[in-house]
Amino acid sequence: MKPARKSKDKLWASTHRVTIWHLDSRSRFTGKSMAATSVHKFAQCISCHAWSPDLSMIAFCPNNSEVHIYKLSEDKWEKVHVLQKHDQIVSGIDWSYRSNKIVTVSHDRNSYVWNQEATGWVPTLVILRLNRAALCVQWSPKENKFAVGSGAKTVCICYYEQENNWWVSKLIRKRHDSSVTSIAWHPNNVLLATTSTDGKCRVFSTFIKGVDAKDSAMGNSADTKFGEQIVQLDLCFCWAFGVRWSPSGNTLAYVGHNSMIYFVDEVGPSAAAQSVAIRDLPLRDVLFLSERMVVGVGFDCNPMVFVADESGLWSFLRFLDERKSASSSAKYGSQFSEAFGKFYGQSKFSASNNVEQSRGAHDNCINCILPLAKQRKSSVTRFTTSGLDGKIVTWDLQKQEDLLDYL
Amino acid sequence: MAEIVEADNYEGIITRIEHKSRKIESLLKQYKPVEALKTALEGSPPKTKDERCKSANWIVVHRAIMANKDVDSLFSALDPEYYDILMKYLYRGLSTGDRPTCDQCLRIHEKLTEKAGLGCILRCLADTVNTV
Repeated sequence: MKPARKSKDKLWASTHRVTIWHLDSRSRFTGKSMAATSVHKFAQCISCHAWSPDLSMIAFCPNNSEVHIYKLSEDKWEKVHVLQKHDQIVSGIDWSYRSNKIVTVSHDRNSYVWNQEATGWVPTLVILRLNRAALCVQWSPKENKFAVGSGAKTVCICYYEQENNWWVSKLIRKRHDSSVTSIAWHPNNVLLATTSTDGKCRVFSTFIKGVDAKDSAMGNSADTKFGEQIVQLDLCFCWAFGVRWSPSGNTLAYVGHNSMIYFVDEVGPSAAAQSVAIRDLPLRDVLFLSERMVVGVGFDCNPMVFVADESGLWSFLRFLDERKSASSSAKYGSQFSEAFGKFYGQSKFSASNNVEQSRGAHDNCINCILPLAKQRKSSVTRFTTSGLDGKIVTWDLQKQEDLLDYL
Repeated sequence: MAEIVEADNYEGIITRIEHKSRKIESLLKQYKPVEALKTALEGSPPKTKDERCKSANWIVVHRAIMANKDVDSLFSALDPEYYDILMKYLYRGLSTGDRPTCDQCLRIHEKLTEKAGLGCILRCLADTVNTV
């Protein structure tokens, strides 16, 4: 079931293009209108964030056991609620579009579903039956289930049991060899993609009798049993992070800690995979803006745009923040000269090290990217990113003419 | 992919490396150090777990790396498809601790990082399966 790379040359063709675009971007993209429309520092560090269905409120974890909810009123962010129930760092938050429920997971191995009532947000404990930290969470598209990835090498699929008034957790066991770092629901509400620190990306069926109805929209996946592995993608030889489906569910993208991004078409026995090597630091999370455009965020503190051409060939297009295009190779040069300077105990290497460090929107690793839309759409132009610098940045591609063709 | 190489006999790989070595020597005599390095890097056996094959290929690559004195002209002729595998061998060179080897590897490493970016280093360090 191991999909072959379409061709070995493809990988390198893309890498080569990376280099070319890098040089081009200096003249081409400076002085353009900023893609980052708002930058707000909420905390020292943010582990994850989520938007309310009407986009008026934001929930995030300031790297502790609390979830803070802020509301935008008259251009100022006001803290309206603090959700306190977890004992350790909250590692995942998801706010459902339709039912207005918040689900949170934490390193304390628990999960809560929060309901807004007259008195405030009321938590319901979900027993996950984990013996390691929960790492990520996501509502299914129909919002009748949610999935939790964990450090216990398992994925929990949780669903609501009406008669008991209780959230039940069903586990997918013995499939992952290491922590599950990211999960993504296919739009058909049954398939779930996971990435893991064992380097694999896997796709499972999460069909639960009595919760999911068999209908034609699901295609073949309706015939599969709960927990059945549809495919295992064996492309990355190190930690894998950040997996997402394209809006139609035809393409899957995930990233590796080896500065690679992987695109997989026709997920199944005859999957076709493409690997694109990145010139810079690895990514942590990805988001499909449309079928043909992906934004990746990570250790480079600057969102990267990847696009597919007419033939479906993916390549790196450019950085979204301006800073990078100004002095990236000069920066590497100076970093290394500085290191060499330390090596030899000389000062001549660091003398020319006054490259201006123009600050971008983010100045630390970005670990979370979310669409800014009131419902699931086939293409989005606005999205937000949060990271270890405690900032939440809103990006708008409306004025980025070169990108609009891909939406 | 790993299984295919594993099934191949080690003698076959060693013979190929010996053949490569002769070709490199003749290229070096013709003052084509970049061609020699390309030949050395081609068909490197990262997928095999056999240390003898890895060492044999390292000796060949080491010979070619040391012959490339002019680093600037090396990178004007070396295609990007060789960058990742070259980086892996540079780190192997640095791990030997041999002074002239380390000096040469550091010189190439600086230029290679300028060319191929930090991503190239990450791909080399993060991959613990396909070692050289």
